[in-house]
Amino acid sequence: MRCEAAQNLFDAYLDGELSAGQRTELGAHCVKCADCRRALALMEVSGHIMTSDREPVTLDANFTDRLLACVDEQESSWMRRWQRWIYVAAPLAAAAVVLMGFFGFFDSNKGRVAGKAETGQIESVIDDSEIPEPFLDDDLEVTDGDAPAGELQQLIRRSQNNFDTRRQDVESLLEKVDLTILQKIDVLEQLNEQDPTDPEKHKNDLPGHDASGDE
Amino acid sequence: MKIAAEDNVRELERKLIARARSGDKLALRELVDQHKDRLFAFIWRMTRNHHDAEEVCQDAFLKAFASLESFRDEFRFSTWLFTIGYRMCLNRMRKKQAINGDIDFASMPLPSHESPSDNVESAEAAQLRSDVWSAVDQLSPQQRASVLLFYRQSMSCQEIARILELPVATVKSHLHRARLRLRNMLESTSEKDLLQFRNLSGLAG
Repeated sequence: MRCEAAQNLFDAYLDGELSAGQRTELGAHCVKCADCRRALALMEVSGHIMTSDREPVTLDANFTDRLLACVDEQESSWMRRWQRWIYVAAPLAAAAVVLMGFFGFFDSNKGRVAGKAETGQIESVIDDSEIPEPFLDDDLEVTDGDAPAGELQQLIRRSQNNFDTRRQDVESLLEKVDLTILQKIDVLEQLNEQDPTDPEKHKNDLPGHDASGDE
Repeated sequence: MKIAAEDNVRELERKLIARARSGDKLALRELVDQHKDRLFAFIWRMTRNHHDAEEVCQDAFLKAFASLESFRDEFRFSTWLFTIGYRMCLNRMRKKQAINGDIDFASMPLPSHESPSDNVESAEAAQLRSDVWSAVDQLSPQQRASVLLFYRQSMSCQEIARILELPVATVKSHLHRARLRLRNMLESTSEKDLLQFRNLSGLAG
């Protein structure tokens, strides 16, 4: 065996991967070759030192206690963060719900503002076309959080306009509702004057009570 | 027999991890106590700085515990922990290198290594011991990691490959080159001293 071939077997020899035959061949070569014997001894003894030497440094004795204290600290800080988040997020969420309600976000049907279930007659005075579409995100055309300043200003202006329009609409609706109520009170008073003891008798005279529901 | 014992160890480890996942502090303590010395020794050999090694070791455990849910049972916990530790160690070394320039391991004072036996060793053997560790310090990080995991942690090339996130063939290549470099660096040591050391260490038989 030549030196080059012998040295190619060194790694396998050190890792205990040589067959019995290869081991004999390598040993036979090393008996004759001082260079290979020396090289192999160097690698062998280096491995032995690296495997068996004691560590010159050790961890602090209280390492485990300190580490577990850090684990506890992390858990409690996570809890604190969560609680803080709840304290901030809960009022914000409540405020958002109130605002969304104010802007009619939850109104799926137009004309519900007056509460049609309770006010069958009054409902008829409210025209759906008078109520603008709810203040929905679709109107804003916001696609991401990186809108340029100009777009943001435009967005704010549109929101303000929408808010003003909405307020005017609500005010005009309230005026109409007031008027209708006053008219009905007048009618009732007239009826009462006719027969104050028997209101049931004149029930069907009330305007808007028939199927059409309109005055 | 050996395989059955290994299976038993793995089963115990799985149970321990399951307890740790459910927040059992005693299980966490047991995991730390089982692995801390080996991990610290490895990281200290990589960084050669006690403070850095302790910090990286602690951070590696914290990171491992924080992401314990993502640990896959088919691997050993030590392999996973060493993978985290090795990555953190490399990051720490890179940061230090960026601030202070290349770390000159050769200029660092060598700690006094101790023989595993209580025999009084010759000056030549002590010199060789010092030369070997000095040579290890001069290997590249990947070669050093390969050598340390192979010799000091008795890991297989497959385990080392997982930790270093390299193919097994690359790890074998690192080991081969590391041995070659060590051999070249130690060439000046006389054959006579080596043989004497081998006799002292009981290797000659």
